[in-house]
Amino acid sequence: MKETKFLLAIWKTNLLSAMEYRAAFLTQVIGMMVNNFIYFAIWIIFFDRFKDVRGWGVNDMYVTFGVLASAFGLVSLLFGNAFTLSDIIAKGRLDYYLSLPRPVLLHTVASRTIASGMGDFLYGFISYGLSGYFTWDGLARYVLATLLAATVFAAFLILTQSLAFWFGMMTNFSNLVLNAMLTFGIYPITLFDSYAKLILFTIIPAALMGAIPAEFIRAFTWSTLGELLLGAVGFLSLAILTFQAGLRRYESGSAIQVEV
Amino acid sequence: MKTFSKYWSIFQITLINSLAYPGELVGRSLMIIPFMWIFYQLWKVTFSAAGADVIGGLTLRDTLWYLMLAETIELGRPPIARTMSDNVKDGSIAYILNKPYDFLLYQFSTAMGETIFRAMLNAVFGGLTVWWLVGAPNHPEGILIALPAIFGAWVLHFCINAMIGLSAFVVEDVSAFTWIYQKLAFIFGGMLIPLDFYPKWLQSLAKFLPFSSAIYGPARLFISPTYTFFISVMSLQLTWVLGLCILLVIVYRRGLAQLTVNGG
Repeated sequence: MKETKFLLAIWKTNLLSAMEYRAAFLTQVIGMMVNNFIYFAIWIIFFDRFKDVRGWGVNDMYVTFGVLASAFGLVSLLFGNAFTLSDIIAKGRLDYYLSLPRPVLLHTVASRTIASGMGDFLYGFISYGLSGYFTWDGLARYVLATLLAATVFAAFLILTQSLAFWFGMMTNFSNLVLNAMLTFGIYPITLFDSYAKLILFTIIPAALMGAIPAEFIRAFTWSTLGELLLGAVGFLSLAILTFQAGLRRYESGSAIQVEV
Repeated sequence: MKTFSKYWSIFQITLINSLAYPGELVGRSLMIIPFMWIFYQLWKVTFSAAGADVIGGLTLRDTLWYLMLAETIELGRPPIARTMSDNVKDGSIAYILNKPYDFLLYQFSTAMGETIFRAMLNAVFGGLTVWWLVGAPNHPEGILIALPAIFGAWVLHFCINAMIGLSAFVVEDVSAFTWIYQKLAFIFGGMLIPLDFYPKWLQSLAKFLPFSSAIYGPARLFISPTYTFFISVMSLQLTWVLGLCILLVIVYRRGLAQLTVNGG
């Protein structure tokens, strides 16, 4: 309860801070939505010409792209520092968070809001609305799926970026796996054979951010819900354990850091 | 000649600088491997579902080599808009403006210096991946014929991105414009789907726009290196380069008139 209050206070401050530059905030939100619309047009062109990919059509893409965008946006909005955690670790900027009486990981990742995330988050709902799969109970599943997909995504970011405790600066590796996650998440899962699918559920859990949430949104089944819950809990636990293990190795040069 | 040697030196310095962190350079270039692998999966299934060896004049092998070069051009270019916008926003433009060189030519020289090795490594990793997946390109010599068009593509990218960067003279944040430009280049440049697969009306529109000269033209020239196509790509590209260079100079001069740098 105490941590929930703390999180809400941090998010409120972040949002107010982002809104201080209102024009820039709105430009980023609207710009990101336009950006997503234009990007999705490629899939409309593709499916207009080739109709479907092993039973996967443009309507499925609307849902997959939507839930992935909303999950990505949610993490950007609420846990913006998850994207740069490896830099924070490698540059000794965890000192600031360690000196405060709050959970280090939670405080660190929640301390930044990426304004464009709002555009991604909202765009996802529009994409779902346009998919032709829209129903009110489907919308409830969409919200739940977005939360679980966002948990998997945030956990994946924390997990991979925490490797900086052992390997130092890993900006390129972080970008590589982030791009892989998003790219594989957007493409139809029917493209991949069973070995590739195994990778997409484990090493790069893109299926748990795109295809499986989309399947759950289209029609409720206990098995897809179970997969999503298991993925979210499993990856989050692994991410927290890895971060904590890494934190025990953490050392910095006592550099003076200013957190704005 | 002296003027040229000044910018050549800036280019050389940036080129050498880009080799200062080889791990960084290699790491960044590895990104093309998963992209090419996923393109292979997508187009293999698509060609198979269509039951055709050739779609829009391209085989699966042509498509993959086309996409490899398109990705190389896109991933090789540095974030010029962001750099220039940062220069404007943080006032560091003042330190560049009082040096004895032209701001735009300085930026172009540094951008090209950053591009060369990035693009080369992307081409190497992307090329090896595609070679392993679908075999050698049908016309390996096409890369030499496409080289002038690849250079022209980077000039075009520079002009458009520099204009976006300079828009920081009037707007607070240019990132939204860079995203939108990138996505327009994806669609009208044929970066994810070759323009030959588009409906006819969209093909005609896209092939006329500068995005196609920046991506589709050079990439298509690589897989179809014919004399007539070379002339057609280069003449359209040259027209856009000239037009956009003139526009860029006008935008720059107008922006400069509005520039106010506080403090230092």
